[in-house]
Amino acid sequence: MNAISVNSLQKEYQVFNRKPGLWGSLGSVFWREWNNIKAVDSISFQIGEGELVGFLGANGAGKTTTLKILSGLLTPTSGSVEILGFKPWRREREFQKRISLVMGQRTQLWWEIPAQETFRLNQAVYGLSDKDYQESLGELVEMLELKDYLAVPVKKLSLGQRMRAELAAALLHRPKILLLDEPTLGLDVVMQKKVREFILDYNKRWKASILLTSHNMDDLTALCRRVLILEKGKLIYDGNLEGLVRRYAENKIIRIVFDGDVPASQIAAIGGTVDSQKTSMWVSVPRAEISKKAALLLSSFPVADLTIEEPSVDEIVRKIFSKS
Amino acid sequence: MKKYLRAYLISLQETLQRRSSFVMDRLGGIAVMLSLYYFWKTLLWGHPSFLGYSYSQMLTYVLGMNILRSFALTGRGWELVGEISSGKISSYLVRPMNYHGYALALDLSQKTVHLFAALLEIGALLIFFHPPFYWPKSITAFFLFVGALMMASLLFFFLEFLVSSLAFWTSESGGPLFFFEIFIQFAAGAFFPLNVLPRLIQKGLSFSPFPYLVFLPINIYLGRVSRGQALQDLFISGVWAVVFGAASVWVWRKGLSIYSAEGG
Repeated sequence: MNAISVNSLQKEYQVFNRKPGLWGSLGSVFWREWNNIKAVDSISFQIGEGELVGFLGANGAGKTTTLKILSGLLTPTSGSVEILGFKPWRREREFQKRISLVMGQRTQLWWEIPAQETFRLNQAVYGLSDKDYQESLGELVEMLELKDYLAVPVKKLSLGQRMRAELAAALLHRPKILLLDEPTLGLDVVMQKKVREFILDYNKRWKASILLTSHNMDDLTALCRRVLILEKGKLIYDGNLEGLVRRYAENKIIRIVFDGDVPASQIAAIGGTVDSQKTSMWVSVPRAEISKKAALLLSSFPVADLTIEEPSVDEIVRKIFSKS
Repeated sequence: MKKYLRAYLISLQETLQRRSSFVMDRLGGIAVMLSLYYFWKTLLWGHPSFLGYSYSQMLTYVLGMNILRSFALTGRGWELVGEISSGKISSYLVRPMNYHGYALALDLSQKTVHLFAALLEIGALLIFFHPPFYWPKSITAFFLFVGALMMASLLFFFLEFLVSSLAFWTSESGGPLFFFEIFIQFAAGAFFPLNVLPRLIQKGLSFSPFPYLVFLPINIYLGRVSRGQALQDLFISGVWAVVFGAASVWVWRKGLSIYSAEGG
């Protein structure tokens, strides 16, 4: 069964053109030129119960807009969205009790007082009984290692501690749908790993459907089998990570270790992009020519070792983003 | 209901936590109160009455203004403007709660703390300066005043909410709120009794909700309004509260539809 179903979703914004300089600003007080921006352009996808999907795209590709539509903050211009049978923008209470939106840069925690106060507010907001609340809180505190920080004012927490408290506040009501916008933004490597492990654990434990955006490729490779890629508001890829490599990697990488020094220029003559490090080199070669070029390298140079590799997901995604 | 009570308590905690800004806020209020107090004291020295106010009534009006400013004219309009323009309201909109109710709960908690502070300040002033203080002639006048104070508070909440919601349209500034704050202090009688103004302006203001915020509640306290008139004032301020309550809900919904259409 699909937890999230999105069909031909479209969202247009009207923004006004800001003119440069003081005169431009003064002018804009009296007249404004409006521009239509298509933030999301006819996208469709389905997410099943318990699926964990990565949402990729360069800045301004339409990821956050889509998440805001899914969480009910924005009304789409056209198309349909159904989440657990609800239309998000109607913001029905029963729908809101089943979802959670966590935005890495925005906090719902009360700043001056300890996070546990926000948790208790959320207990009341989501109508959790004391028993359910204690059970859920105990579990989250343990999984997120929050015990020592519950009574510390939020402003005194480190970014990592705060992000974990943020997750706890967002998950007390055990939402079936979790929308995460850059959950590891600004965290150090150790903390990123902890947050990732938690997300995976939550997903498995509660069969929650999770859609997460991230610029951090480690998040995606560690968490998501399936990724959606947006480019200028259009969905350009929906599939698993391996498929992404096959589809977008036009080249393969030949890695060679030489027996002695070989000038990079000689290798470049064979073709592909060369990256060298003393006696070892990487050559990027079109897929179709891979065996021919490998044979040529083996016969022309003193090769000690030669391997053929796929480029990393990271590299491919970077390439897709740089194109857009 | 429980969620709004919890919101009230959590906001109470936070207000108490922000001690320095709270103290600064109060110091500003004390400065206004003291300057107005000395202004009227000097002006009325040797005059038995002014515009129908006795010496003690006028000085009590000034002290009463401190109560009304603290309880009725205190709100979190700037926070609401900030939350709208920064998009923070998103985090409330995705949760199963009514933002109006939530905002009212937070507002009440601020009003509670400020009311206590104002009572302490006035108590201190009474102890140290022994001003001629006007005590109400009957318990009914006092309760009518409390009723008017409550109504003024609710009316101000809706008015301020309405004006702050304009931030949905003017997201780059809190301009309307800034104007509102200055204007309302004059129009409500939070600097001087409205009797000081020309008759025509007084007449005009009497058709507006503003005198119900400060001027009329204090006049009820001072016994300058008959019981029948006070009840009528209470009723009219209730009508204003309903009108502006409905208007603020309507503007908020309109604003939200723009927010939902244009993004946050």
